[in-house]
Amino acid sequence: MAYYKKLKADLAGAASAGIITPEQADRVWERAYSGRAFASFKAVHWIAAASGLFIAMGVILIAAHNWDKIGAIAKMGAFLLLFAGAAEASIRFEEKPAAAIPLETLWFFMPVLGIGLYAQIFNLSGDPVKPYLAWAALSAPLALLSKRPLAAYLCSVLLFAALYWGTLGAQSILSLTIHYNQSAQPLWHWALALGVLAAGFALYPGKKLDKPLGAGAVWLFFMLVADTAIKVRSEALVLLAGMSLAVLWLEWDDGDENGKAGTPLTLWVGAVYAMTFFWHYRPDSYNVFGHTDTPAGAVVTWAVFAAAAATLALRKQHVLPEGRLEDYLAKGLLGLSMLCAFLLFDANTGSAKMLAVLANLILAAFGTGCIISGAKNSDEKLINRGVAVITLTAVTRFVDIFGGLLKSGLAFIATGLAFAALAYFINRGRKALIESVKK
Amino acid sequence: MNKLRIVLGLQLVIFIAWGGYLLSSKGAASPEFYLETRPVDPRDLISGTFVALSYNIGDPQAGNCPALTKNSVFFVKLENRGKTFNSASGPLPVYEATDCAVTPPAGEGNWARAEKGYGFRPSARYGIERFFLNEDNPLKDARSGSVIAKVKLGHNNQLILLDLVKKI
Repeated sequence: MAYYKKLKADLAGAASAGIITPEQADRVWERAYSGRAFASFKAVHWIAAASGLFIAMGVILIAAHNWDKIGAIAKMGAFLLLFAGAAEASIRFEEKPAAAIPLETLWFFMPVLGIGLYAQIFNLSGDPVKPYLAWAALSAPLALLSKRPLAAYLCSVLLFAALYWGTLGAQSILSLTIHYNQSAQPLWHWALALGVLAAGFALYPGKKLDKPLGAGAVWLFFMLVADTAIKVRSEALVLLAGMSLAVLWLEWDDGDENGKAGTPLTLWVGAVYAMTFFWHYRPDSYNVFGHTDTPAGAVVTWAVFAAAAATLALRKQHVLPEGRLEDYLAKGLLGLSMLCAFLLFDANTGSAKMLAVLANLILAAFGTGCIISGAKNSDEKLINRGVAVITLTAVTRFVDIFGGLLKSGLAFIATGLAFAALAYFINRGRKALIESVKK
Repeated sequence: MNKLRIVLGLQLVIFIAWGGYLLSSKGAASPEFYLETRPVDPRDLISGTFVALSYNIGDPQAGNCPALTKNSVFFVKLENRGKTFNSASGPLPVYEATDCAVTPPAGEGNWARAEKGYGFRPSARYGIERFFLNEDNPLKDARSGSVIAKVKLGHNNQLILLDLVKKI
């Protein structure tokens, strides 16, 4: 509701400033307000909903109190009736979103309620992930056939949650991590996990797959660093896998409605920012787990790197707006961020410091590229992003490396002057562009 | 017919069939017997009220068991060797694990289906590790080790947990 309050205030302000007429302000406000969620709900609907909620809660509590006195068949019968009723109502009210959305949500959750109920009645226990996979399997047809994307979205989230929980745990049919030094998990666990991953992708609604792609990339990275059959332990391979997956996600992400990258870009910047701390790397201090890369892990890492490199060469970049210089800069920086990992093979203090310097340069070049490209395209957000990246990098380095008040102070002044010079040249470029258009 | 109604029909058929299987398994004509429990920390707070149970037969050591508990599925022979516990209704015999096999020998004793458990050493899980109950049930405060479990064999040699009996 805060949005509508602000909109009303802004429209009143625009009307009083003479930008629009008060009538226009009223009409805009009414149009926007009528489109809010539950707009068709009148007071009587809310009272009816509250009444239904209270009665349902009362029935549930009375049933809970007499739970032991109700027979197994009666419990199962009541559940099946409720299940059928909710689903049938969802089908009948398919065209009325105010009723169909909550009913379809209830239908989606009915299988897991049933599994839980049967487990209570028959004292079932065992694999903790199986019930959730069974729930996803039972709800997948609804997700595929429903006109709305709601069930598909919920089912996809459920599958990814089960994938993370099951594979990182050690006590389920999805477990991929090795438990208490036991032998590796069976291969069919991997087949099942990959099947769940594929189903999560397939069920995700819409054509934009950036979110499942990101979830899959992060999951694969977890599998590489956890104690699995594809674990990698050397810093070089871990960094190469991490940066390659970040680039892969960034390159396959279609971005927002304007084609601008969002979360994956932030993640990539974060990963490069983390690389700047290799300045303090000491080869001996990272040997906690030993350098025991698995052959499968190495193959997966190199495959991910190859895929990221091929994608970088073949796909359009979304890091900066389109343009010859922007394309070269963005692709160059993404490629360089991956290649930095090669400095960690047989790393020593010197190569790690070079890696940190390169990471700082990548951030500085990315920030400058954002500012220049943002000025060219009149994109304030892009300019702000560039300033934020450079400021964060500069402040971190001053605190991290200089430490002392005098050196840090001088460095801050130097950065301020650099920003001022950048602003001056950008303004001159903008004026020259306007003049060239006038001629 | 609407495709969504077919989906609903299939979902209901699955739950009806599963419920029927569980009911008939619970009603199977097999003997009921008792198992000794041992203390365990319940850790799951989202499944409602239940007593978390661990069993002496969860760590079978007799016969072929040490070799077979590494299998994902195996069968454990359960029999009474004279051990009893006192309950309010008198002494009750408890069953112990006396052997393990890959497949249960036909018509020879009580063989319970077990799955590989997780822990520092190989163990067995039977799917009877939780006893759900109402918040008014006095057994709510019971802890594994202070009770013995009344069980029977259902379909496919699956153990079914019927009740808990307090030890005296």
